[in-house]
Amino acid sequence: MLPLIRSEWRKLSTVRGPWLLLAAGPLLVVAGIAGLVQSGGDVHDPAVQSKALAHVALAALFTLVFGIFAVAGEYRHGTITDTFLSSPDRGRVVTAKLGVYAAVGAVAGLVSSGVAVAVTAAWWAAKGDSFHLSAADSWRTLGGGVAVNIAFAAIGVGIGALVRNLAVAIAVALAWIALIEGIAGQLVGSGLARWLPFSASEAVGRADMTGATRLLPQWGGGLVLAGYAVAFTVAAMVTTLRRDVT
Amino acid sequence: MSEVEVRGLTKTFGRVTAVRGMSFTAPAGKVTGFLGPNGSGKTTTLRVVLGLVRPDAGAAVIGGVPYGRLARPRRTVGALLEASGFHPGRRARDHLLVLADAAGIPGTHVDEVLGQVGLAAAADRRVREFSLGMRQRLGLAGALLGDPQVLLLDEPANGLDPAGIAWLRGLLRGLAHDGRTVIVASHVLSEIAQTADHVVIVSAGQVRFAGALGDIGVTGNALESAFLKLTAAAG
Repeated sequence: MLPLIRSEWRKLSTVRGPWLLLAAGPLLVVAGIAGLVQSGGDVHDPAVQSKALAHVALAALFTLVFGIFAVAGEYRHGTITDTFLSSPDRGRVVTAKLGVYAAVGAVAGLVSSGVAVAVTAAWWAAKGDSFHLSAADSWRTLGGGVAVNIAFAAIGVGIGALVRNLAVAIAVALAWIALIEGIAGQLVGSGLARWLPFSASEAVGRADMTGATRLLPQWGGGLVLAGYAVAFTVAAMVTTLRRDVT
Repeated sequence: MSEVEVRGLTKTFGRVTAVRGMSFTAPAGKVTGFLGPNGSGKTTTLRVVLGLVRPDAGAAVIGGVPYGRLARPRRTVGALLEASGFHPGRRARDHLLVLADAAGIPGTHVDEVLGQVGLAAAADRRVREFSLGMRQRLGLAGALLGDPQVLLLDEPANGLDPAGIAWLRGLLRGLAHDGRTVIVASHVLSEIAQTADHVVIVSAGQVRFAGALGDIGVTGNALESAFLKLTAAAG
């Protein structure tokens, strides 16, 4: 497995695209926190501080797309042929990708967290209040945000392996987050809607965007997200990944 | 032994039967020309041998072992396929290092094969700047990377200039001379006539002739007329 992990890391470290994509995460965090403060968020309210840090979980949108590139990007460029020639055991290839992409997702989440803390502290200072990272709530929000970045990278790997067509996989994933999950949630009712992936990610990252759904507990959301990552990957291994590479 | 053996291979894509009951053996120590018109099943057969396509019936083995069960596939078989691609933003050396990492081949070997295919000076250039001929050479470098006993090359002369074609001919002859099994799928008959010892002519997914090139005629013209007659008969 180690050679495959090294190879996957080499694939990532020798092109620029993934890093430009991941760099968008911290930028989103900077813009999101600025927007929160500028739109009248009260810095004296501890809930607003937590809301600022919760932007880390939203940056996982980029680790999701990053993960989709893992397999679907290889089909797009035709490099999947060489990858499967090096390792005819396709399950091992995807397992190595899951490991590497989850690890990079973790680093992306940590960078976004650092940026979120720095930006929040700067805004709070500018508004004449001090920012208290010591609050247990802040750490739970940041930890949850990193977990969402990891889980979305892994879910992305699974989606890309299942769909294989890069454009379709990205379109479906973004449409799900922007539109489909909301509609699906209304159809199934809020009791079930909180089990859907984006709602589960809101629970983990403590980023309640809509407020319409009663969220799972943070740990429960984490388990649900891990379950989606495993489910997509296993589904890919027993279906699309077994298909002919032509 | 590292001969390649295809036994009773059949593969259907939807309603199209690409390969029907194909059998042949490519012996070690020889260049085997794998000839056939477009759509005759050559590429599908190579992909089955490499474990990329699953046959409906039959099997393909390398030294008696299916590709998927080779202990060290890249050190046993080197392949150049038309559809295999490159990430346009990756440098040539990095492309080969990706393959070397996965196969546990030392990175120093990458510079050797880059030199062998004449790309040493272009090693640090991104593939998007490469001409078709340079991409072909990079693909060959990937095939040679594991110093394999078996080479499967699909239209390897594609995009090469006359000097490149002459170089390739020498390379393939040398590889076979070392006792390796070399299979070259092509429809450039004059080139095969100069390079191959052994030919397998297919059309409509079936073998029409398999044997020594000398049994057909060693000149390009003799091979061409035999090829046209054998492949026309199948309709």
